[in-house]
Amino acid sequence: MKKLKKKLKKELKKELKKEHIGFLFSTLRNSHKIIGPKIEQGVVVLGEIDVHDIPAGYEDHQKGGSYRLVKGERPEIFSFSTGPDSFKRFLSPPVIEMFAFKSSRTGMAITVPERQGKPLAFIGVRACDLAALKLYDRVFLEGPEKDQRYASLRKDSLVIALDCSYPGDNCFCHAMGTGPSVTDGFDMGLAELNESFLVEAGTIAGQRLLDGLPLEEATEGDRKEKAERTERCRGMMKKSIRTDDLPRLIYRSLDHPRWMDIAERDLECGNCTQVCPTCFCNSRYDLVRLAGISPRSREVSGTRVRKWDSCFSRNFARVHGGNFRPSRRARYRQWMSHKLAYTVEQFGLPGCVGCGRCITWCPVGIDITEEMEALRDVR
Amino acid sequence: MYDRSMPFEATIKWIKKETRDTFTSALKISSREIQRAYRFIPGQFNMLYVPGIGDVPISISSSPLDHDLLHTVRVAGDVTTALSGLRAGDVIGMRGPFGRGWPLEEAEDLDLLIVAGGLGIAPLRSVARHILKTHAAKKRGVHPRRILLYGAKTPKDIVFRDEFPRYRDIVEVFLTVDRADPEEYWRGETGLVTKLFDRLSIDPLCTIAFVCGPEIMMQTSVRELILREVPEERIFLSLERNMNCGVGLCGHCFFGPKFVCKDGPVFRVSEIEGLMGIKEL
Repeated sequence: MKKLKKKLKKELKKELKKEHIGFLFSTLRNSHKIIGPKIEQGVVVLGEIDVHDIPAGYEDHQKGGSYRLVKGERPEIFSFSTGPDSFKRFLSPPVIEMFAFKSSRTGMAITVPERQGKPLAFIGVRACDLAALKLYDRVFLEGPEKDQRYASLRKDSLVIALDCSYPGDNCFCHAMGTGPSVTDGFDMGLAELNESFLVEAGTIAGQRLLDGLPLEEATEGDRKEKAERTERCRGMMKKSIRTDDLPRLIYRSLDHPRWMDIAERDLECGNCTQVCPTCFCNSRYDLVRLAGISPRSREVSGTRVRKWDSCFSRNFARVHGGNFRPSRRARYRQWMSHKLAYTVEQFGLPGCVGCGRCITWCPVGIDITEEMEALRDVR
Repeated sequence: MYDRSMPFEATIKWIKKETRDTFTSALKISSREIQRAYRFIPGQFNMLYVPGIGDVPISISSSPLDHDLLHTVRVAGDVTTALSGLRAGDVIGMRGPFGRGWPLEEAEDLDLLIVAGGLGIAPLRSVARHILKTHAAKKRGVHPRRILLYGAKTPKDIVFRDEFPRYRDIVEVFLTVDRADPEEYWRGETGLVTKLFDRLSIDPLCTIAFVCGPEIMMQTSVRELILREVPEERIFLSLERNMNCGVGLCGHCFFGPKFVCKDGPVFRVSEIEGLMGIKEL
């Protein structure tokens, strides 16, 4: 392993001219389904793309509860920041068929669907999403029982990460210590410069991909430019969050009056949990079609489905004869405490990666950074 | 090993009605391999799955040394209603075992105080059965005390009522009901199970307590035990939450930072100390 790292280090940082970015796509296209940013309904979303789909030159203006995409002046290809989608949509899709079942009085047969399609290649994974991916790996691969489906999708996937040139208006990854530049956890890392991309390999698979590209040796100037851009991006971030007293602050504030205050604004739409790249909660249920039931022989057939769920759902913590979190206050507290405190204890990583999506996509603009600051106010 | 996130077949061997809303069903795992690999300890639970309806976490109410694998179920929701409608010979799905069980080794040489409320008796019956089965094997030394306090709503709601006389020589059993029906003769105590603590004299230095029941009853029991100087490190609770996957990736069973399904359901009180009094956690 060490030897590999050394080898990779030696070949670290090559330069890919911007006009050659198409080569990356054409190399990948044969073996992978390429997932990256594109515009849909005025929003940068993730989906299967080609090189022309990247919304180069667009700028997104984000506020609490607001997102506007405009054609701007920025010269970069990746001139925009993160949209509502994160890569969790592809590794743990919103709805999954877990298995099909056919059961009768005397037996039960279960068939697990085969995975179809090419493996996935993710292009333009930002530092925040990379940190989220790391958490996802812990959740789905290191539990007492690993999620086979996630494991197989993840194993074959290729992660091409990207340094952010510009932060979104709600970003605070520098405060969470996750970005804005990518350091590890990717197969291939990109950093956009004026004329070119600085490329580095993080794994053997990334190195193999890198070997197939028309690269030039990176100069000292390039490296300096990368560092400057990272620094500039860091400096442009408007939001911040104090993390030195986490998770203690949350445990101390579980009875804080601020939760009531948030609950009065909160609509419980669950948007924050849908856009959060680390939210992983889900529910399973059986989907039975009328045709699948024959009462006389007691035969039932259907599929077992897993879908994203949210701790804001009213029935999320319901058990027979009661609900453990009947109030909105408790549900919001559950979400925020899980992000900022519980995940550290559960998985050793913070559950908030500082992407700011929950602020942008909250219809009433509840701002996790502000709310946390308010918790510090001991009344 | 087998994948515990996929249900396997189990046949209902027999069903016994316990009370007006509770029944016990004995299950037999169909696959020989899984049957051989299947090992559980008292306090763990299985997900019972009725295809087309859903699955539900049910703690195992028999001991690993027992011949039958028992689940004691209260009819409360869709799945448990469906389970109650099945007959011997029917096949259902099952996943498990999940979670962390009771620390039986730790309790071996200590006085064990079992406190159960309502259907909380189910995972504790597993412990009691285990004690009965292992009692004879222990030849040397003084047998530590085994005490069972059990409270139910009314005499009719006492689950496993017919079994308790058989425990008598090995386990001291104290029963209580919240309210005795006037039409039924009841000689035992009335009042909350926590009231029974007054009838005992326990030695806090060598007592370990297993508690399972409604949350408020567990809180009161913990308070009573701490009042009697039983250290928090030796009080264990079995918590109940909405469990959906059983393996810590669905998020339904969070109790603060704990996954009840994989970190619990049995917790040492000292582990969850700061979380217990907090409402709606």
